Amino acid sequence: MAERIVVDPVTRIEGHLRIEAEIKDGKIVDAYSSSTMVRGIEEIVKGRDPRDVWAFVQRTCGVCTTVHAIASVRAVEDALGIVIPPNAEMVRNIMEGALYMHDHVVHFYHLHALDWVDVVSSLSADPAETSRIAQSISNWPKSSVGYFTDVQKRIKKFVDSGQLGIFANGYWGHPKMKLPPEVNLLGVAHYLEALEWQKEIVRVHTIFGGKNPHPNYLVGGMACAVNTDDPGGINAERLAYVGQLLQDGKNFIEQVYLPDLMAIASFYKDWGAIGKGIGNYMSYGDFPTNGYADKANFKFPSGVILDRDVTKIYPVDHRDSTEIVEYVNKSWYEYTGGDDVGLHPWDGQTNIKYSGPKPPYEHLDVDKKYSFIKTPRWKGHPMEVGPLARVLVGYGSGNPEFKEIVDSALSTLNVPVTALFSTLGRTAARGLETQLVANWTMEFYNTLMTNIKNGDSRMANSELRDPALWPAEAKGVGYTEAPRGSLAHWIVIKDGKTANYQQVVPTTWNASPRDPKGMMSAYESALIDTPVADPALPLEIIRTIHSFDPCLACAVH
Amino acid sequence: MATVSHEFKRIFVWEAPVRLFHWLNGVCILVLMATGILIGNPPAFMSGAEATNQYWFGITRFIHFATAYIFTLNMVYRVFWSFMGNKYASWKQFFPYNKKGIANTLFVIKDHVMLQNEKVYDFRKNFIGHNPVAAISYSLLFILMILQVVTGFALYADNSTWFLPKMFSWVTALFGGDFNVRFVHHLAMWGFAIFIVIHVYLSMWHDWLEGRGEISSMFGGYKFVRKERVKD
Amino acid sequence: MNTTKERQETYYESIIKSGYSRRDFMKFSAFMAAYLGYETSAIGQIEHALKTTPRLPIIWEHFQECTCCSESFIRTDHPIAADIILDKVSLDYTATLMAASGHQAEAAKHETMEKYKGEYILCVEGSVPMGDDGVYCCIAGKTAEDQLRESAAGAKAIIAWGSCASNGCVQSAHPNPTTATPIHKIIKDKPIINVPGCPPIGEVMAGVVVHVVAFGRLPELDRQGRPKAFYAKRVHDSCYRRPYFDAGLFVEEFDDENAKKGYCLYKVGCKGPSTYNACGTMRWNGGVSYPIQSGHGCFGCSEDNFWDNGPIYERLTNVPGFGIEANADKIGMVATGAVAGAAVAHSIASTISKRKEMRERVVSGKDVEKRVE
Ligand code: HEM
Ligand code: HEM
Ligand code: NFV
Ligand code: SF4
Ligand code: SF4
Ligand code: F3S
Ligand SMILES: [Mg+2]
Repeated sequence: MAERIVVDPVTRIEGHLRIEAEIKDGKIVDAYSSSTMVRGIEEIVKGRDPRDVWAFVQRTCGVCTTVHAIASVRAVEDALGIVIPPNAEMVRNIMEGALYMHDHVVHFYHLHALDWVDVVSSLSADPAETSRIAQSISNWPKSSVGYFTDVQKRIKKFVDSGQLGIFANGYWGHPKMKLPPEVNLLGVAHYLEALEWQKEIVRVHTIFGGKNPHPNYLVGGMACAVNTDDPGGINAERLAYVGQLLQDGKNFIEQVYLPDLMAIASFYKDWGAIGKGIGNYMSYGDFPTNGYADKANFKFPSGVILDRDVTKIYPVDHRDSTEIVEYVNKSWYEYTGGDDVGLHPWDGQTNIKYSGPKPPYEHLDVDKKYSFIKTPRWKGHPMEVGPLARVLVGYGSGNPEFKEIVDSALSTLNVPVTALFSTLGRTAARGLETQLVANWTMEFYNTLMTNIKNGDSRMANSELRDPALWPAEAKGVGYTEAPRGSLAHWIVIKDGKTANYQQVVPTTWNASPRDPKGMMSAYESALIDTPVADPALPLEIIRTIHSFDPCLACAVH
Repeated sequence: MATVSHEFKRIFVWEAPVRLFHWLNGVCILVLMATGILIGNPPAFMSGAEATNQYWFGITRFIHFATAYIFTLNMVYRVFWSFMGNKYASWKQFFPYNKKGIANTLFVIKDHVMLQNEKVYDFRKNFIGHNPVAAISYSLLFILMILQVVTGFALYADNSTWFLPKMFSWVTALFGGDFNVRFVHHLAMWGFAIFIVIHVYLSMWHDWLEGRGEISSMFGGYKFVRKERVKD
Repeated sequence: MNTTKERQETYYESIIKSGYSRRDFMKFSAFMAAYLGYETSAIGQIEHALKTTPRLPIIWEHFQECTCCSESFIRTDHPIAADIILDKVSLDYTATLMAASGHQAEAAKHETMEKYKGEYILCVEGSVPMGDDGVYCCIAGKTAEDQLRESAAGAKAIIAWGSCASNGCVQSAHPNPTTATPIHKIIKDKPIINVPGCPPIGEVMAGVVVHVVAFGRLPELDRQGRPKAFYAKRVHDSCYRRPYFDAGLFVEEFDDENAKKGYCLYKVGCKGPSTYNACGTMRWNGGVSYPIQSGHGCFGCSEDNFWDNGPIYERLTNVPGFGIEANADKIGMVATGAVAGAAVAHSIASTISKRKEMRERVVSGKDVEKRVE
């Protein structure tokens, strides 16, 4: 007999995710992923000024803050034919790069690490040994015996107080926790250090966008005017500050994040065979180096991989109404033309209609509709999106930068390529791409500096800001690679107003319910066959789920 | 139609305090509107001058606030006078809501507004103080003035450390934020514009149609009434 | 792991235990006092409070949110988030950061609710959808409203984080499809601190928590339930571009010459003059910048209903009920014009309709003219 277990709330994620899984003989045989919160942002932006929409949709998510704003301004610019100045393109790239550095590090330490690192075990570690390990894997200066001794004391004092706060009821001492106490101590120390570090890198957003979370964007470019001779503009001091923050960020990633990732991964190689998932991967591509129109010069290449065959990359067309469509056959919405058809986002609808059980409930009725997430498909295929997809598409496209990082990681860990298609692979890919993004962001920064040095200080193109100059009707799509994967917004503008707006978001792809053919999306499929040692403790489930870095506010919006 | 004479007698209607109030009020409102429009919609002022060398917007705002104080005090003064002055200045004039007043109101609407001709000449055609419809318009204006004072001082409260503007800080909470207060304050300005158009037009209309010195009365204080109305 | 002790240690003990000296402790108290704007005499009070209080238990609920408030909270620069959650409070429940999931998470929350009944602080991030019996946000199979009422019942006070919890934020913007509702409209019998902003500044969030911890009472609130320490002034009142405002020097269009000189953003829609927040004084992310300093106007993200007070890039909002295009000035001009037109029409009509009356007057007037000597 299969046993039905429920994990709700899934914590250390963004938003409200509920997993229901059937366990048989210690393994998951069936799984359902649901999000139980909706706001209706797509409906709320209807009728509004397209120049304002970025601010509304940015509030889709405060964790991946900025990516929805970028997708939105790109969609409007695409619809109206606005080309932004190169400086604005670079500033957007730098801000998105800073987001990657922030978001991936926070995910690793604060949202994912406690699945692998046992806080309580770190109390019995020998700080001298931790220090030795730390120094053997990295040049990071804070690696002395005294440093780790202090951290251990602090944790001990904390645990002794009896008030365990966020660590209460954690999965400490679980049989699947495999790290030696010394590595656990390293993990805990860096948990705290990363918490202190993360508030620095976001200042890149503060400088260009005025605040973080939710920095400001602008249709037509960016609002932060450059003036190297005025305290009121982006001047040498501001630029030097950004340069410093990016360099410090890169150092942390190279000297703390990546060494920790590899060290911890080496104890969990068995997870290279767990959490496979659907095996189709998609990346829209992002980080333009020669303007958003020139896809060939994106840093993240674009394409689709089917059935784990990395030798073949298929192109994606956002405008083709037969490629990307969304279904609501298992989602709490209604389409006016029936719920079994898929709609391309330009024709998309968001008619919320809850039909699940009346709360309070024990179980969802998974045979009927069971989530507020819609189900997107590419040419009928479910897609996994995110760091692993990007790294595989880059690798498959033969891009040398991707080849190098992937090959070196595989040889460090001594695992086969197939280990990438897994929970471990997702978590590793996230770290690897962070390294690439950190490097590129320095390049974007240098490009911006060179541009300004050469006398180009343009930051916004205001030519077409006046709605009187717009066509009566226009359609646009803005896409980007958000930290969690491929993100696009589609807009229809009529008479200067937003007539329709649809967001198809990374976590929408990954966490969605089944499609009319009964095919699972990425979360559900990755959970199948995951071993669960104790059904009362969902540690293995959250390990695989966390490897996707869920964001449910994004997924539903 | 020789039923009424065309002989008139001079009558003192508007006391000096009322006249003073009237013109001060009118000037204040015009200044507040002019500066208010500038505050709400500053013209493109592509000046090469540095901020340290010019202060025109600050001056505009200063004039607005200084005038606002005069405007408010003047208003308070008029309320006071409505208890002290003659019967035409009395507060009772602004509430013509007894039986007679309502009949008069209907009469004025028919005669002045709908322009229906009366069969028999009615003395009421020439009211001595305000006619009741005018009185209603002044009551409405008065409400508008209070609204403007309340919202204006609420906006001003946070610039000031003095108790008077501070007394109005509850307004912000009531309106749900300064944004709405500002919006109402701005929108209400148009109420004055509309009043002025109607009021000035009707003053001229009465003057022209009745020919008893309607306009000059607000300067000199006297109107004229038909001889028949005056007891010997 | 059963480590519960009879008596919890105080801040003082915990700070001394972590290797700080008494002098450091005094410095910390003085800093806190200065930070919160208190007189030096309050230092002793803070010191005493920190010496005698166990870590304040906090339950942090997440409803209809984007989690930017949690994100902003961990950005705080002074004190830093790690120090708050390890040394100052006991953050016993927050879905964003806690180790436990599912049943273990709910159990941790219920334990705190029982053990610290009447003592814990409830933080709420996000609004509560009241439409359709609350089905638009469920956690552990229960509606957000039920979860809120349950955890509010034993709370000493509630902190409503961000615009979502204190005014409804983006999901409550027209047409508010889920009837998203702020906390103070649902819970009426508890003290509530509203900390609006989308999100609030990290240091403001930390400052509110530190105030409650250090003084054992809520900060002084204004009429809208906001801590006066951070929301008493408008952005405009402390804006460094204010001299340009007073001088009438404005940015006319983004990235124009005036924008490059850092002129006032009033004419490109800055809502600083009607927005109560600490952005101008404290700035963001450790004081690095704030929206206006980075060239974009304030759009009033801490004000009630700010999403519907747009458009963002215009000074005046559209008037509700007059179609999307009409703003106050357009309506005012049309109305005034119509009235002027009516006056002209009235004068023409009068000339015709009252001609008899006038003729009489003219006749008698001319008669007197002839008879006058
Ligand atoms: C007939 C009376 C008045 C008229 C027509 C008037 C009109 C205006 C207008 C149109 C604005 C610009 C609003 C905007 O779009 O932001 C304004 C602003 C303002 N008014 Fe008035 N106003 C009047 C009386 C007052 C009074 C009695 C006060 C009391 C102090 C006052 C104080 C203010 C303040 C503080 C502002 C905001 C100025 C700023 O901070 O820049 N007003 N007024
Ligand atoms: C050329 C300009 C104006 C003229 C000739 C004028 C004339 C008059 C006259 C003749 C009256 C007495 C009305 C009556 O007998 O019923 C009056 C009353 C009044 N007018 Fe005007 N007016 C002028 C401008 C204004 C303006 C600009 C305002 C304010 C916006 C204003 C506000 C008032 C008020 C409030 C009263 C009632 C006075 C009281 O009883 O205290 N007037 N005006
Ligand atoms: N899924 C998602 Fe996001 C991301 N990354 C957005 O597009 O997290 Ni909040
Ligand atoms: S207040 Fe704004 S920033 Fe905070 S959770 Fe709500 S939407 Fe996000
Ligand atoms: S930029 Fe905004 S807040 Fe600053 S002075 Fe101008 S209007 Fe005021
Ligand atoms: S938009 Fe918000 S962040 Fe501050 S400057 Fe305005 S209150
Ligand atoms: Mg969508």
